Amino acid sequence: MARDDAPWKPSRLAALGRIGDLVENVTRPAMTRVVRRGFPYTAPTVPRGVEVPAEEERLGASYDTEWARRAPARFVRRGLVNGPIRWMVRSVASPSVYGTDRLSDPARRDDPPALIFAPNHHSHLDTALMATAVPEPWRSKLVVAAAADYFFDKRWKATLASLSLNAIPIDREVTGRKSSEMIKALVEDGWSLVIYPEGGRSPDGWGQDFKGGAAYLSSRTGAPVVPVFIDGTGSIFGKGAKRPRAGTTKVVFGRPLTAADGENTRRFSARIEAAVTALGDESLTDYWTARRRAARGESPRLTGPEYTGWRRQWALSERRALGTAGVRRRQKRRWPDLG
Amino acid sequence: MPRPGFVLDVDRSTPPILFWRGENFSLEKLPAGRSRVIYAPEPLPAIEDVDGAIVHALLHPIDQDPLPALLFPGMKLTIAFDDVSLPLPKMRRPDIRQRIIEAVLDMAAEAGVDDVHIISALALHRRMTEAELRHAVGDRVYDAFAPRGHLYQHDAEDPEALTYLGTTPHGEDVEINKRAAESDLLVYVNINLVAMDGGWKSTATGLSSYKSLRHHHNPETMTHSRSFMDQHRSELHKSNWRMGKVLLDSGVKVFQIETTLNTDTFPSPFNFLSKREWEWSPRDRMTYLGTTKALNRTPHRLARNIFHSIEAPHQMTSVQAGEVEAVHRITTANVYEQQLVEVKGQTDILTMGIPYISPYNVHSILNPILVQVMALGYYFNMYRGAPLVREGGAIIMTHPCRPEFNPVHHPSYIDFFEQVLADTTDPHVMSQKWEKQYAEDEWYKHLYRTSYAYHGVHPFYMWYWGTHAMKHCSRVIVVGGDPKTVRRLGFVPASTMDDALEIASDVVGRAPTITHLHTPPLLVADVSV
Amino acid sequence: MIRALRIDRRPAKLALARLAGSFGPAGAVRLGPLELSSIDPPALPGTGWHRIRPLLSGICGSDLSLVEGRASTYFLDWVSFPFVPGHEVVGLDENGRRVVIEPVLGHAARDFPLPFPNAAPGDGDDYAHLVGGALEPGIQTGFCCSTGGGWSDELVAHESQIHQLPDELSDERAVLVEPLAGGIHAALSLVPAVARARSRGETPVVAVLGAGTMGLAAILGLRRYLPDVRIVVGARYPHQQTLARAFGADVVVADGELARAVRREVGCHVVGDYLSGGSHATIDAVGNSNSIASSLRFTRPRGTIALLGMPAAVDVDLTGLWHRETAVVGAYTYGTETMPDGTRRRTFHLAIETAVDTPVDKLLSATYRLEDYEDALSHASTAGRRGAVKIAFDLRSPDSRRTQEAS
Repeated sequence: MARDDAPWKPSRLAALGRIGDLVENVTRPAMTRVVRRGFPYTAPTVPRGVEVPAEEERLGASYDTEWARRAPARFVRRGLVNGPIRWMVRSVASPSVYGTDRLSDPARRDDPPALIFAPNHHSHLDTALMATAVPEPWRSKLVVAAAADYFFDKRWKATLASLSLNAIPIDREVTGRKSSEMIKALVEDGWSLVIYPEGGRSPDGWGQDFKGGAAYLSSRTGAPVVPVFIDGTGSIFGKGAKRPRAGTTKVVFGRPLTAADGENTRRFSARIEAAVTALGDESLTDYWTARRRAARGESPRLTGPEYTGWRRQWALSERRALGTAGVRRRQKRRWPDLG
Repeated sequence: MPRPGFVLDVDRSTPPILFWRGENFSLEKLPAGRSRVIYAPEPLPAIEDVDGAIVHALLHPIDQDPLPALLFPGMKLTIAFDDVSLPLPKMRRPDIRQRIIEAVLDMAAEAGVDDVHIISALALHRRMTEAELRHAVGDRVYDAFAPRGHLYQHDAEDPEALTYLGTTPHGEDVEINKRAAESDLLVYVNINLVAMDGGWKSTATGLSSYKSLRHHHNPETMTHSRSFMDQHRSELHKSNWRMGKVLLDSGVKVFQIETTLNTDTFPSPFNFLSKREWEWSPRDRMTYLGTTKALNRTPHRLARNIFHSIEAPHQMTSVQAGEVEAVHRITTANVYEQQLVEVKGQTDILTMGIPYISPYNVHSILNPILVQVMALGYYFNMYRGAPLVREGGAIIMTHPCRPEFNPVHHPSYIDFFEQVLADTTDPHVMSQKWEKQYAEDEWYKHLYRTSYAYHGVHPFYMWYWGTHAMKHCSRVIVVGGDPKTVRRLGFVPASTMDDALEIASDVVGRAPTITHLHTPPLLVADVSV
Repeated sequence: MIRALRIDRRPAKLALARLAGSFGPAGAVRLGPLELSSIDPPALPGTGWHRIRPLLSGICGSDLSLVEGRASTYFLDWVSFPFVPGHEVVGLDENGRRVVIEPVLGHAARDFPLPFPNAAPGDGDDYAHLVGGALEPGIQTGFCCSTGGGWSDELVAHESQIHQLPDELSDERAVLVEPLAGGIHAALSLVPAVARARSRGETPVVAVLGAGTMGLAAILGLRRYLPDVRIVVGARYPHQQTLARAFGADVVVADGELARAVRREVGCHVVGDYLSGGSHATIDAVGNSNSIASSLRFTRPRGTIALLGMPAAVDVDLTGLWHRETAVVGAYTYGTETMPDGTRRRTFHLAIETAVDTPVDKLLSATYRLEDYEDALSHASTAGRRGAVKIAFDLRSPDSRRTQEAS
């Protein structure tokens, strides 16, 4: 009897189970031997009545990423960024990068100053995108501020993040003293920083208000802030998406900003937000329109309209339709097979 | 601290001197004891904060209100900028014009100005290609203005786009771009590479038409411009200044922004081209040898493409804005500060190596007529006071001088070479006999307006440029040039520098003094007799 | 017995000459079908025929193409072998009169009725008169085995072919009468095109491509009989350019520059490779694929191209001809011409007039003895490169030559 006629099909789970059986058949004899030998080949068991003191927390915000900035790790990272990561970004996000000429002045200096890149944030893809789009000389000395509670909660995650993207852990809500000290030291050491002032990925496709992190770090370290607008990553791999859907993206760099004399962090942060907003406008329309709207204070806000509910989503789709970035890459046309 | 320019007296220990030869160069030994070499001053330090300096200049203009005070909602604003002929070689992105235009646009946006046109002030030069426009004004400005038709190129043959403003007291017609004339404010964005550029020449020449230009682009004016690099002794500039007055009187309000660049001309590893030969490092010598050997075996078409892809690292040394004449005085002083070299006394023979580029062949071929203009128009005129070469002296230049033309950029040059130069090399005769025919040729007009061709009359202007030098020198010798072509130009071909000196001895005697103009980088000789 | 250079019908020799010709003219002549031999003088074919002793006999391009095996097979049926080439002949008849031969063997020579009264040999639209009648086939003297040809000591000519020369016309000028007649014929074939230009109020512009003997003859014809046209000439070699200027061309340029020179004259546009306008008429005195293709490019739409140079098989894109409705006319030979004022004249009479008035002997660059025919032909075949125009055989006895020089 043909299998096709069976009223059920063996599920994938069952197939996986069979593979597991096979693996187990191979490993079990070895493992039994190890287990039989016991300590020190296996972990010690704890005697009753004895309390093992809790190991000091080495994950989260206090994860030490020093090793990732040493020469071997940098070497590996250069290979990763210019190889698989770049390839992945290009095939999934097809980025077009604008405005790097605005960074040509500091780039031409003999000792290019460290910069703080402050892009909007829609997707995990943003970090990979920044790692490839930031122009030299900053690309090879770039650290990324990543949420300590998400990227540094597990050791493997922390290792991967710090090796491949040179991530450093940072608290989402408040930039703690420890983080800012560490970043200040890094900046003095010539490292540039990518930090998402929104504090996290957008939950609904619209942007969020900027938190003061970038402005605060800038005024503490003296490094200028480069506003960056990233368009399109939200629709490729937004928050909650299960798998990426290939599309096109735009990365627009703005002119470096520094806090004016006597400008407090909040004002400066607002200025950064306005700059990113204007870049967003520029990427959807053109430079002149964006400049005029910015001057009139009429730049379309990245945080979307005030109202909530379906109209907010509706407006979002309209905005996405505007930008080329929102247009997903055209699928290969499939013709029906007519025999 | 950059070293100033320098005149070297050649002695027996002097190494051979670098001569440009189109898309190649050579080392030539100059006779000891009676030769000297003029080296350009080293590049001045650049302004660190370019954008800051631009904003400062716009907010603190000379003899004029700050730019924001001149801008108001509902006004017509026109921004004109220098075309592809400047700077040379093209500068690395971002171009200085882009930075200034963006700064002006930022202020215009603040002031609520909606009606802005951006015009490439190319006079009778060829139109710029999209890539060249993008290079000059940047992608942002291009993408914002070009699709709406608000970024375009001046068309000196479009009667609808020109306004006749009247005549100067000398009877010179003044006709300029209509949009520029009718704007509430005309902002001119200039790059001053040589002292000849800028001032009223920007607007009165860059935005005008043949009707206007012929009053100062003619053999008479050119003969009496001694030199073009010295505004006060240049009839060309006097005429432009008179036209500027007409512009002012007819209510055209000009906000002039002028910039100067340093002479950091060649990127590494080719910076040895600007160095003094005895300071060449082993690496420089290897690069020289490798490059010349390779170029000798490279098809010259390919060599040309390689050279034209060079982007110069030159940087802005000053920016000033405001009233045209006041601004230009400062600009000229800044140019002189970079380029002036004091030279004592004239010479019997002036030698020069002609490079691959001139203002008129960006991305193109330095054809024989442009070789002429580089030598007799530009290099000869790189003086203040008296010409470097004495009256009756000789000029020796090195250039392959192939009879090659770019048919897209220089269609009328081909006809000029075949028809006019075959008939006469006298600028006065050709202006009477042939100029009109070329200026009014329908096909040339068509190509100038729709393709990327220089105007039909342009080769004449190139020839007029050399009028003074042709009259002043008794012999012009081209070393290594195609003999037939060189003869058609009215010059004498020679195969080596020694031959050339031998040929020159007819007119300057057996032991003439020789001066070599070691340029590029650009320099202006301040000659005291 | 007389000396004669004779061509036999030997296909193998022709093929060999063709092959050797691709390496240079000398080999083609040596290996080719031409041989110097002693033969019986041709018999008089009938009444009205005369014996002519050539004095000077020119070498024409069509002769060269035969000798070098490049001629089209078209002619195989229009000539009769073995023949003695040479149709540019100045000679003496039995009575010692100096004459030139109008070489076309027309109705009268072949004993056919004339197509109309007083027809010249070249007149008549039925080409049967070139192959039938009393003679063997042959389009001209010099291609017919019955008449002999100029490259020998003697030939026969019908009285309709004979033109007596005025005394003031030297042999050296007279030998150019025949090619001159061809050039004048081509020039006068442009009369309708030139008249159309005039009727539009334009200055007629005629371009001449190539300034060998035929091109220069056409320039002379144009200047003399159509004095108001602008003549623009493209000539490859400097001596040709000098002669073109001397013969009255208004603009003379190198051959590759002709299209631009024409554009400058008429002030039109250029679309792709083609001028939007162009010369009202063109004389192509080269006659190969390239020359025809470039003539098509710079002749104005509905203009006329006269093919004066003999083309063989050519490879030309005729789309331009179709689109521009260009008229391409052949200009083979002479006969009776209709002058711009409507009168009718024999071409040969015009040519003799012209030869009397202009120093056409400047075109005769060198003469050779018949024995030195290999040198002569290779000189003729590289004439332009070697600074020559027309090469001829000098068949005068040393005595008569001396008399000529003395006079």
